[in-house]
Formats: sequence, structure tokens, C-alpha cells
Amino acid sequence: MKTFALSALVAAMTVAGTAQAGVTDKDIINDQMTPEDVVTNGMGPRGQRYSPMDKINTKTVKDMRPVWAFSFGGEKQRGQESQPIVKDGVMYVTASYSRVFAVDTNTGEELWEYNARLPDGIMPCCDVINRGVALYDDLVIFGTLDAKLVALNAKTGKVVWKKKVEDYKAGYSITAAPLIAKGKVITGVSGGEFGIVGKVEAYDAKTGKLAWTRPTVEGHMGYIWKDGKKTENGISGGQAGKTWPGDLWKSGGAATWLGGTYDPDVDLLFFGTGNPAPWNSHLRPGDNLFSSSRLAIDPDTGKIVWHFQTTPHDGWDYDGVNELVSFDYKANGKTVKAAATADRNGFMYVLNRENGDFIRGFPFVDKITWAKGLDPKTGRPIYDDANRPGNPANSKDGKKGKSVLAIPSFLGGKNWMPIAYSQDTELFYVPSNEWAMDIWNEPTAYKKGAAYLGAGFTIKPMNDEYIGVLRAMDPKTGKEVWRYKNYAPLWGGVLATKGNLVFFGTPEGYLKGLNAKTGKVEYEFNTGSGIVGSPVTWEQNGEQYLSVVSGWGGAVPLWGGEVAKRVKHLNQGGTVWTFKLPK
Amino acid sequence: MKRTIAALFLSAAVPTLALAAEPDPLESPLWDYMRQQFIGQDPYRFDDRIKVNLPEFAEDPTQVPVTVDAEALKGNIQRIVAWADLNPIQHIFTYYPHPQIIPRVSLRIKVQQGTAIRAAVLTKEGVWHVGGSYLDAAGGGCTTPSAAAGNPYWESHLGEMKSKFFPREQGGRYKFKVIHPMDTGLVDAIPEFYIEQVVVRSDQGDDLARLKLSQPVSENPVITFDVRDNTQKHSVWLRDNGGNEFEQAL
Repeated sequence: MKTFALSALVAAMTVAGTAQAGVTDKDIINDQMTPEDVVTNGMGPRGQRYSPMDKINTKTVKDMRPVWAFSFGGEKQRGQESQPIVKDGVMYVTASYSRVFAVDTNTGEELWEYNARLPDGIMPCCDVINRGVALYDDLVIFGTLDAKLVALNAKTGKVVWKKKVEDYKAGYSITAAPLIAKGKVITGVSGGEFGIVGKVEAYDAKTGKLAWTRPTVEGHMGYIWKDGKKTENGISGGQAGKTWPGDLWKSGGAATWLGGTYDPDVDLLFFGTGNPAPWNSHLRPGDNLFSSSRLAIDPDTGKIVWHFQTTPHDGWDYDGVNELVSFDYKANGKTVKAAATADRNGFMYVLNRENGDFIRGFPFVDKITWAKGLDPKTGRPIYDDANRPGNPANSKDGKKGKSVLAIPSFLGGKNWMPIAYSQDTELFYVPSNEWAMDIWNEPTAYKKGAAYLGAGFTIKPMNDEYIGVLRAMDPKTGKEVWRYKNYAPLWGGVLATKGNLVFFGTPEGYLKGLNAKTGKVEYEFNTGSGIVGSPVTWEQNGEQYLSVVSGWGGAVPLWGGEVAKRVKHLNQGGTVWTFKLPK
Repeated sequence: MKRTIAALFLSAAVPTLALAAEPDPLESPLWDYMRQQFIGQDPYRFDDRIKVNLPEFAEDPTQVPVTVDAEALKGNIQRIVAWADLNPIQHIFTYYPHPQIIPRVSLRIKVQQGTAIRAAVLTKEGVWHVGGSYLDAAGGGCTTPSAAAGNPYWESHLGEMKSKFFPREQGGRYKFKVIHPMDTGLVDAIPEFYIEQVVVRSDQGDDLARLKLSQPVSENPVITFDVRDNTQKHSVWLRDNGGNEFEQAL
């Protein structure tokens, strides 16, 4: 009883201290090594999703149990892809339909909630999800489905500032967690299925004033604001038309819908860019920069420092937004400043993060048909032309091109769900899926606010027993060290810890803890609905806590073809589950 | 503590104050509870000079015209708080009038059932003067979806304002209407979304009137103010709980 009173007092003190102890740039840079909080998406700006905590480990994890569960409530139970953020005894977590909740981490009680009043006309392609907030100073900042950035007072949930990033009526939306770097809040946009123009934008985090904007399609002008004055800041790619025909670059896609990472070491932002629009690649011969690429952007100026395109002239919706995770490794006695990314197209790439040079690439799925391999020097794919969907112009009636079987499917060897990197095992943990698609092309034309695909498709599983595979990949050799198979496709993020554990969730509802070295299941708990969010862990009152959001949804049930059969019985939800070891 | 001392002092000086339990002239079952919410332990009195004008019967519970008139206490007002005893969200508005504005405001509100509508005026001496009227109403105004919920018109017209000026013998009257759903948050799956702040500014930059609104104010609010000086130009600034700001010259 005494202990209870004392911990309640401590809790009250920490909660009261929240507003004073605003989040600083230093807190953000050091997030990975400060177990008492989680102030960034990715558990550190590099996005390693690694925690140095080991109280919950392969020996103790079997006793881990829930301490509280928090329901988002309402009738809005759709996909919950959020990663919780924790600071000073308060959890900030987002939910479907652009909602934010502040929850007391001791009790699971709600402190406040913010519900964006969304117009009916929002156009999210792939469920009404949100992936989380950013914290800066005393602000909680997130993006909405009607393409706005909203900054809330961390203590009250009241709006402090709000900025329109783009026009939702043209198909723009925001689902990713914003990123904070050097006092700026940095966001991308979604909408690649509607022929939008992708961009990365930086706003002053405290005031919401636009600092720079960088389009991700070649030919569009970037701008920077100096003393409140909008100034031209160079055309992305130098000029229009180098890698795009005609004026298709004007609606070229390359949405930056997954947000980005930041490495303070090399002082660069890393953003992935999505598919070029439309999907029908015969309409746009050329590499179509900077679609399906990784971009390194200077956080001060918004200039593109380097780029690496994983799928030039993408014809399969290998929408390469995938996160680029910075890590260092030793080779020949020297430290290599590397970064890795597991792409929608089925290849994993290790790049030099200082200059974007290709170090190595290797498949992380069992079969790839669209490319025969990667050029060992440049990493450029060696296409198998037989497996690019045929040009509809060559068909008899001009309406449907030849259908091909492409592996992986457009939902990707890996989709949005973030990988984790363990500093102990030096392995990447990649949530991947084994599926194929029949895909064919059709004619299409751009119309504002309308789907802009020019393709039809159907997805099919590669195996009867499983689609999802969590893989432990060695970035130095490209070898798979172990795999864990799951019946339904994996759609949630991964967390690695010093406790030699790897945590992730499954659509069947399980939070799983696997041995990081062997892949052995050391823990599982069913949360009652599918997990498509990313787990986090932090320390509170000397104990290690772990949270994950449960709530089935996302793109799979909306686009899933034959796959839908494997998931249609899964029920929706919307709950934060929080675990710890018993005292 | 300070407040208690002030109250004791005032009670000695002004013996007519209803510090104990002056009966509610409207006999509302929630009077004591509402008083604690909005007035607390401050001294107060019921005062017929504070007028709350209402229609005899609210045919449309989502659009009930209300006029609060505190001209009797002009020049001596800190703020005016208006509420509806039996609404699920009671607070309607808090009004901070500048001396250059006549302390009278009209707007439309939503009511959930027949209820007492109150206006409590805090004077500079720290005493609340409470007026009120009973509204007979058909129910359901607060839990009916706004018309906006069924029509996307507001999405592309949010915050658009129309205003009119009516010169009067002394000063003049502004009436303005703004497009806003004013969702209460009590309807399933529609988050609360309403204008929280209204400021009327003179061309000299003075805030002539500051209004804090709550969810019961009707969809597409129509608000009427009276100014004393009709030679000045005025503008209005609004902010909703979603962080949207709107400004327009009147």
C-alpha cells in the first residue's frame, strides 16, 4: 500500500513536470540511448528500433503480462498502424481517422484526446490510418488525412498551430509520423495513386512556419523561405524532361508517404519516394526520377544531396518509400557509415550513407521475377523484360496489355512496416511477405482527384502455409540467418532489444517475442485484434515497459485479392496494450 | 482565501446579496449545481435587469435565437457568462465587452430539451448579477447531426462570412454569419468541431468584444453586436478548436 502511494506521488510529479520539460533537439538525437522515454518515431532518429534495455530478456520474458489496455473507442475501428511515443509518464498515440490520445502510462487513463474533423472528401488510398506523432518542445505534432499538420499542446491537447500541407481534393493526405530535425518538423505527403507530386517539407516546429519545400519529381521547383520571403531553391533534378517524357512529370507521383529518418552523424534526412504515376510504365519511358528512390536531403536547405533509385522506370508499383536505417559496421578494420533499406521490390540494399554509393544488394524474399538480379557495381536492376506488364497499345483493341505474373506483388516484399537493427546481433529484422501478382496495364489519363493507375492486378499467396516471414538478415553478407513464418501477411513494425529479443505483432493478434539469435518463439500474447502497429519499450519507475497498438486494418484487407481469404475473419479493434514483468 | 474575504466584506456592505440560498426564480433543478460550475462561491443576486430574450417556443431546437442584454450594467462589466441548465454541454458563451460596445449580444443555440437559459454578469465589484428565462423546446438539438454532416458544402466554404451593418439612432448593429458545422461531439462518429473564439476589432486595433463560444452555438453561427460609434470600421477574427483561423472586415 505504501509503495502504491509513493509511486502514485512520483507519477503525479512526473505528469506535472511535463510541460516544463519540453522535448529538445538533444533529446531527439539521444532518444535511442535514453530508455526513460521514446520521443521519436523509430526509437531514435536513425530508425533502428533498438533498445538498450535488457530487463525483459529471453529468460524473463515468459512472465511478461499486460498491466493496462486502453481502447480508442468510437465506431472508428480501422487499421491502427501507430507507434506510441512516451515522455514523462504520458503516452501520445494516434488512431485511425486522424485521432490523437494522451494516456497516463501508470494507469492507462486518458488525459485528453484530439479528433480531427475530417471532410467527407478525403482520399486515402489504403485505409484511414495514422502512424504516430512527433514531439517537440511542449508540442505534439501529427499529420491528418486531409493533408494538414497539426501541433497540439502536450498538456491540454488544444491546437497551437495548424498548417495546410496540400489540397486533399487533389488526392493528398498525410499518414506518416512527422520527423523532427534541428528544430524543424519534416513531413512528406501521400497520394501516389492520384497523380499528385511528392514533396518533402520542413516547418519551424514551434511556429509552423514553412522553411523549405522540396518536390520529389524531376522538373519541379523547390523553394526556401528566407526572412519570410519565398525564394527559388533549384529545380529538383536540374530541369524537366530528362527522365520523363512530355509533361507526365507534372503529375508524376513519387509520394513521400512513409516519412523519413535523420542521421545526425552525416546531418542528412533520408526519405523514400513512392511509385511514379501512373502505374502503366509504357506511358512514361525513362527512369522517372525521383520515383521509387531514397533521397538524402540537407535539413537546412532542402537540397537533394544524393539519390539512389531502387526501381528505375517502375512498372509494378514497387513503391519504394521504405525507410533507410543508418548503422555503422566494421570492414577491414574501418568503420563503414552505412544505411540499409528493404525495398518493396524484394531486394535489400546497403548503401554508403554519406554519398549514396551502392555497397551491396541481395534478395530478402524467396523469389523475384521482375529482375534477374542487381548490377554488382551500381545496384541497378537487371530487368527481365518478359515480366514487365505488356503495353496495352500493342493489344488488338488497345484496352488491355499482356498480363504477367510478377513476384513480389505490388504490396511488396516489404511494405510500410519498419525493420529493426540490433546493435548486439548486428542483424536486421525484416517483416516480409511472400506473394505474387498477375498485373496488366490499361490506358489512363490524369484527372485531378481521380485514381491514376492504368493497371489491373490480383494478388496471390506463394505458399499454402504462410505469407508472412520475419527474417533475420545479415547486412554484411546478405545471408538470411533465420526466419519465422506466419500464416497471414505481416503488416506491423519490429522492435529489437538488448534482452536478445525481437518483438512484432501478427494479423492474428499475437504480440510475439522471438530470440534475436535463433528466431525461437519466447513469448506470445493475443491482443484480441490484428497488430499492424510497431512496438516500443521504455523504462518507468525502474521497470521495463512495452507497448503495442492492436487493431486490424491497413492495405491488406482493401487490396488483398486471394489473400483476403486468409484475413477476412480477422476482427477490427483499437487498443493500446502495455506490458511489464511482475514485481 | 482572498475570494472568501472579499465575499465576507461584500456581504456586510451589500445586505441584499443572495449569499445564502435565494430561491431560483426559474425553479430549475440544476440551479445550485450550475451556480457552482460558473459562479463558484462568488456573491451573486438575481437581477431582472439582465435580460435573456427567447422565443415562446423553440420549434427548431437546433436554431434557437437568444439575446442577452446587460445594458443596465454598462461600463461596469467584467464578463458575461451564458448557459443552458439542462443542455448536455451547458456553457454557451463567455463575453468580454469593451466600453465602446453595448453589452448586448444575439446568437442562435442548440437545446436538448426545455431548459432555463441564464446570463450571469460579473461586475467590476466582483458581484454576479444573474438573469434568465425559461425556454420551452422540442428536444434533441445537441445530438442531431449538423446539416453539414450530410452535405459537403462546408468543406469548401468553411469560415466564409457575410455581414451587414444597420445604423441605429446611436451607434449601429453588426450582424454576421459564418459557415461552420459547430459539431457538438455528441453525435456518433462526428468529432466536436466548433468556433471557440470570436474577437471584434476596431480599426484602431482595440478588441471591442471577445467572445468564447461553446458547442451549443448553432451551426453556421449568426451573431449580432451593437457598437456605440458607427464611424469606426471593424473587423472580426475567429478561431475554431481545429486551429482554423478566419478574419474579415465587417
